[in-house]
Amino acid sequence: MTTGEIDEGLGREAGREADGADRRHHVSEYLRLARWEVPSDAEEGPPVVLGRAPVDDHLRGAGGGMRTGGLLTNLDSLGGFTSGLAVLPQWIVTTSLLATVSDLRHVGPLRFRVDVVRRGRSSVVTALDVVDEGADDRHVAAATMTCAVLDPGAMVLEFDRPVAVGMPPPQPGAVVPEEFFCIEPGEGPVTRLRLADELRNPWGILHGGAVAMLADEAACRAAAAVPGAGGPAGVAAADAVLHYLRPVKVGPVEARCTVLGTRSGRTTVRVAIHDVGAEGRMTTLGTVTVLAV
Amino acid sequence: MGFSAYPPPDHLLGDMGMDAELTTEESGAVRTRVTPFVTTADGGVRAGVLATLVDIVGGAIAARVLRPDWLATADLAIQRTGPVLGPWVEARGSVVRRGRTTLVIEALVVSVDDDGEEIEVDGGPAGPVAWASMTFAVLPARNPASSIQMAGDLPVRWSFEGGSLDGPILDALPVEVLDGPAGRVSVPVRPYLHNSFSAIQGGAIALVAEAAAAEALGASVGGDASSVVVTDLQIAYLSLGRVGPVVTSTRVLSTGPDGHGSAVVELRDTGADDRLMTVVNAVGAPADPGPGARS
Repeated sequence: MTTGEIDEGLGREAGREADGADRRHHVSEYLRLARWEVPSDAEEGPPVVLGRAPVDDHLRGAGGGMRTGGLLTNLDSLGGFTSGLAVLPQWIVTTSLLATVSDLRHVGPLRFRVDVVRRGRSSVVTALDVVDEGADDRHVAAATMTCAVLDPGAMVLEFDRPVAVGMPPPQPGAVVPEEFFCIEPGEGPVTRLRLADELRNPWGILHGGAVAMLADEAACRAAAAVPGAGGPAGVAAADAVLHYLRPVKVGPVEARCTVLGTRSGRTTVRVAIHDVGAEGRMTTLGTVTVLAV
Repeated sequence: MGFSAYPPPDHLLGDMGMDAELTTEESGAVRTRVTPFVTTADGGVRAGVLATLVDIVGGAIAARVLRPDWLATADLAIQRTGPVLGPWVEARGSVVRRGRTTLVIEALVVSVDDDGEEIEVDGGPAGPVAWASMTFAVLPARNPASSIQMAGDLPVRWSFEGGSLDGPILDALPVEVLDGPAGRVSVPVRPYLHNSFSAIQGGAIALVAEAAAAEALGASVGGDASSVVVTDLQIAYLSLGRVGPVVTSTRVLSTGPDGHGSAVVELRDTGADDRLMTVVNAVGAPADPGPGARS
């Protein structure tokens, strides 16, 4: 499971480190994700959250638009945030994210909408939709995300409602996602991520966005290594199924990939992510569809 | 583990003729014969049929692992990854993680021969037909009692016996197309399609969603449902469909120049205040015979 979305959702006091640093917005500032709450269509209905993010050059992948890992990170942040608002004063952890990416070419900015489609006692399900504002609202992706409800313990969850967080400014000299998320260079079926402190969320575990970007990068490397695939410049991640099983606490983190098959230029890669320092236990399992571009 | 009272004699699962086996406490397999009634235009097995297989194997494993608690499928994702090369397809499932409130199961679908042996190509196992994963929600034992009985010793084998399909599986449900381009199809909720909660079974829901997506994606490329093969389904089960009829609405997200497309299908129980039951993301590919064709 991931509590990456908690980075974005926690209230004013939560997430602040002893040294005064605030890691809640480290990832969303990198992706420049704005988010705001709008009234529900139904009276007393669950919150609806909208988001907006530019497609900065350093975030673009081989498909031409925002890398799917970045897209998934934004979906994780917004879906988790919306689910959390729906169950206050409790909070949530993401347990699964099912996403289909319909277009890899983006002009930007991308606009997101999140609706709660089920709010149960122990889980919340959201439906997420992404369009490209710069391309006449062309569809980019659709996803469903499930979160488990949890007791936030000592975390302070305070929000000024409706919540509105503006778009962070451009970051001069922003690095590419592999560097930002501390993914080690390499090729082939195994890809490693160094668990840097800045990638931990306020609960001390790896941000869900880092998991998503690792899955993207690892699947692309595995698919690119297949004979005839054309190398890493010729592939891009698209659809993803991610089951967040356990938090990543120790690191380093290793994504172990198996190519399941290729049909019509689409390669399905099974991705199992392990926390090497925690007896190698599996923390995330899923698949990523990698396209030849 | 034996399924003494489920499914009833006249049931979709019986007509599909599935054989099942629990091999260990956390693994099992379910297989079904490949017939023209369950295949698509490219010779592959319908994604909805494969989803039914993996839902059954996952449910059987989950029921054993979680006893005396019970379960409900929360989400299911399946992707066709390779051609069907044998007379049977077999879903092999295993537990990935058991948590307090959820259980995650992974399943690989492979081609097998009449003896249950995996088909080989060039001296090695043929590639998988599909990969799937499921999340089951744990329901405390005080919740509605199941008709499924438990037994102790492993391995245990059983069959879903009944009649047999005498036509395309969508006709058996039956799926009625209300508006093809809108991906609007309907299916009644009746005992033939029930799960152990007397609601429409998860595999049947996958079949209905697949049919709706194929209708809409086919129309979006100027064809019909037979011109598209649905290869991937990502299913979020939100509520039970107890009354019916269940009616779909479909939103096509894209149709690319390579003929691939994606869509979102919503299923609602029109007899229960139009309650949203299920959301499905679907991916379709051109139906032209090619790499996916059955040998």
